[in-house]
Amino acid sequence: MKVNKKSAMTWPAMLMLLCFTLIPLLIMFETSFRSDETGTLTLENYKKFFTNFMYIKLTGSTLLMSLLVTVISLLIAYPLAYIMAKKLKGLKNVILVLTIIPFFTNQLVRVYSWLIFLQDGGILNRLFMSFGLAENGLGILYTRAAVVIGLTHAFFPYMVVTIYMALERMDDSLIEASMSLGASKWTTFKDVIFPISMPGVMSGVTIVFVPCLGSFVEPRILGGVNGTVIGTVIEDQFFQLYGWNFGAAIAFVLFALVLIFMGAFGALGRRWETE
Amino acid sequence: MKKSSFRKVLVGALAVAVMFSMSACGNSTGTADGNSSGDSSAQSDSGKTKLYVVNWKDYGTDDKELMKQFEEENDCEIVNTYMQSEDDLLTKLKTSGSGEIDVCLPNCTILPAAIEGDLLEPIDTSKLTNFNSLFDRFKTQKECLGDDGQMYAVPVVWGSTAVAYNTDNVKEAPTTIKCLFDEQYKGKIAFRDDYNDAIMTAALALGQDPNNPSDLDAIKELLLKQKSLNKTYWQTGDEFSKLFASGQIDVGLMWSGQSATMKKDGEPIGFVVPEDGGIGWVDNFAIPKNSKNKELALKFIDYMISKDVQYKWSSNGGPAPSNQEAANAIDPDYAQSAAMDEASLNRLTFMEYRDDKTKQEWNDLWTEVKAS
Repeated sequence: MKVNKKSAMTWPAMLMLLCFTLIPLLIMFETSFRSDETGTLTLENYKKFFTNFMYIKLTGSTLLMSLLVTVISLLIAYPLAYIMAKKLKGLKNVILVLTIIPFFTNQLVRVYSWLIFLQDGGILNRLFMSFGLAENGLGILYTRAAVVIGLTHAFFPYMVVTIYMALERMDDSLIEASMSLGASKWTTFKDVIFPISMPGVMSGVTIVFVPCLGSFVEPRILGGVNGTVIGTVIEDQFFQLYGWNFGAAIAFVLFALVLIFMGAFGALGRRWETE
Repeated sequence: MKKSSFRKVLVGALAVAVMFSMSACGNSTGTADGNSSGDSSAQSDSGKTKLYVVNWKDYGTDDKELMKQFEEENDCEIVNTYMQSEDDLLTKLKTSGSGEIDVCLPNCTILPAAIEGDLLEPIDTSKLTNFNSLFDRFKTQKECLGDDGQMYAVPVVWGSTAVAYNTDNVKEAPTTIKCLFDEQYKGKIAFRDDYNDAIMTAALALGQDPNNPSDLDAIKELLLKQKSLNKTYWQTGDEFSKLFASGQIDVGLMWSGQSATMKKDGEPIGFVVPEDGGIGWVDNFAIPKNSKNKELALKFIDYMISKDVQYKWSSNGGPAPSNQEAANAIDPDYAQSAAMDEASLNRLTFMEYRDDKTKQEWNDLWTEVKAS
């Protein structure tokens, strides 16, 4: 067999994936079937998850929260990406850099900045008070709203980048054609621009939604007593209890959910495109 | 566009995401009670006897200044190995070979397992010249005693998790742990996000045995009621400091060591082990069965519980001393800020060993409270 030079170059990356993604995943998958008491293979960890309504409910509320963050991110990101791709010339690189800055910021620094910004007596609070809009504390920090704000800020740049990439490579003559055939601006957007940007939208949705599902730092720090999500439950299992078996089982339930949603988003994106 | 463009954009975007999300995160929980850092890796050049100690990092035995006298008097060298957790120490004890560990520092949560597993050497307390200076409670610390009535470990340092309060806003020191469940502090309470502390504290408030609570349903109900009274649950000591310093909380469940440190930093913080109790921990020195330097190890333990060493360690930001004479010598203000007195000590319930099943059960209860 002839060794293909090009494929040989991918071996280091493949080896990395194998050693640091696939094998650890398989180890954790096996762990999720281990019994706490006997160490033998069992389904009890999964049974515990599915028979305790609390975990189902918590997963549901985490899903809803992640969807909310995704929708808000989309509403913020789409106009920005559109303007960057179609309306701005030189300025768009500046905006792109500004959008990407949260990426460069350490997660804990970002979260603690929000904490200081949102807390009672914090910057936002004082701003509201100076305009007479609030009398005492705003009480935003340590609520679900604070978590949604923190997560949106952390992840919406991904959405901007993916949508921007999709819109950037779209042929502008399609818009001109649509307009010259008498379509209104709204029709052009609805029937031409948006469908073409759909792959970007859907990958943006995936990239925002998936990490939200597993997030635990933002909920823990910004959510306070209201910050319990499925991610913090997994974290507690691993770090408070050393309960790897059950922790791994919850993580794989979440992983399955992620795969289902990725499949759904992908299918949605493709359907839109082919229409 | 082709069908696969969704995948292409996704892969491209993921690549971008991976590139940019270089930041890693972790909850840093430093050793709150540590003092100076010491370099333990130094190898001796002479043929001195080596005493192998397993301990927390920055926890007394790696403080060169503190160890100097012992090393000189006994012409030996103390070699520290650090433990990551109590479970880690238990594993080390089970797997270490002969002569690998001479002294180690188990707390009450693993002592019963270590004693039952026949991993520790009984300690002849009559050979410890400083033993009689220990607080009475520690002379018969029940977790240190085996079924045969012999002592297998000697309490060295201790501390508590109890009530911290803002002395500017709370004029009278709280006398009951129920203050953490009191409507009058609504929105000004910071409870700790920890299943063990949460359940033990609620059990204390309900008058149940914190180590073997009789009615978990009542505890859950109380914690659910308490939930809305909190500003937030804190998890790292740093979180608590920030909440306290910015005046957002008036009372909270807190560690004695950190309260004392915060007071030293000028915060208006008071710390009490209230009359109905608090949660305690105690670290004990023990000698593994397979130590090859048992005589020297015993001398070392005697040195570590001596008034002088204990005083220096504790008053230098360390935890509370088990030696009563050392405790009495400490600056009263500082001792009070960490509740190092005997009355506080006698009110504590020390955390005991719990099996995995109980841990899961308690954690489930706490998760249900948090998730509701």
